[in-house]
Amino acid sequence: MIPPPDATWRLPPRGVLLAAVVLLVAAEIGGASMSRYKLELTRWARTGMLAHPDVHGLVGVRDVDERTLDEALFRFDAGLRLFHMHAEGMALVVIATTTVAATLARSALPRRALIILLTVGGVGYPLGYLIWSALIPAYGVERSKAIAEWLFWIPFGGATIVALLWLATLTAARMVRR
Amino acid sequence: MGRPPLVVVFVALVIIALGELSGAVLSQLRPATARWAAARIAANPQVHGLTGSAEYDDTVREQTVFATEAGLSFFHTHAEGTGLVLFFAATLVASVARRRALRGALYTLLTVGALFPLGYLVYAVAVLQLGRDTGIELAETWVLTPLGSSAILGLLGLAVVLARR
Repeated sequence: MIPPPDATWRLPPRGVLLAAVVLLVAAEIGGASMSRYKLELTRWARTGMLAHPDVHGLVGVRDVDERTLDEALFRFDAGLRLFHMHAEGMALVVIATTTVAATLARSALPRRALIILLTVGGVGYPLGYLIWSALIPAYGVERSKAIAEWLFWIPFGGATIVALLWLATLTAARMVRR
Repeated sequence: MGRPPLVVVFVALVIIALGELSGAVLSQLRPATARWAAARIAANPQVHGLTGSAEYDDTVREQTVFATEAGLSFFHTHAEGTGLVLFFAATLVASVARRRALRGALYTLLTVGALFPLGYLVYAVAVLQLGRDTGIELAETWVLTPLGSSAILGLLGLAVVLARR
């Protein structure tokens, strides 16, 4: 069961590694910006929300509106945090899983399909959180969540899950064949 | 870089896939999960110490549902992490540990350690079945601590191998 020390990984295509590293950089910059520009980001979101009172259900009563704005700002901040965390994680998932696909998938077509699904899914999914945050001021919490869900989380997350299950099955098949 | 055995790669992939799947399930089925948890608590009133006083029972119910949701959420985040830790650490083992027996021992410790997030699934279910404190204690004592210790031992072993090279 333990392979000889000369069994090695094959690296995925350079474009895949580049995409993962760029995602890691974006995650780091996202994290740094969240803390460095917290005030500016909050101010920007708040101004956007005040410009769309109907979307956020603002009624013009300060006590009521402040609670609504705080809730939306909390979600705005959560979206940025989730982008930071998921981008860090998914970049590493892309590197690890495409390395497995490049090494274990012998036929060219499945290998290429797996690598594309894992890369596109892994890089696209975290962007949904960024889009969610960016859309909250103009579209409100729930509508922007629905947009992010249908445009990013379901297609890209779905691609990653399908590819991971496919890759796990392929690995299990290789184990059984040995 | 050296490649670890297929079984190690398989476990890493399955754990990462479970992490992804649970994230999707959590976000889509959060209200259903909370309803199911509340129903389980209502079905076991004695273990949760429900008294029949609405205010007190609501607090107990909220805390227990929160603990269940936290367990599921921890499963999601830890599964993503430990799957990757297993993949990269086992790759290092394959690359730097020369003795076959040593490699085997480190692979075993790391692979068992990667199952650590399953402890949070036990945690989520146990708090509903046994009550909050007893459930958490059971998951910590019998699942999280042994599996987590295995991961720590595996990583320490890898660190020693790297230091001695």
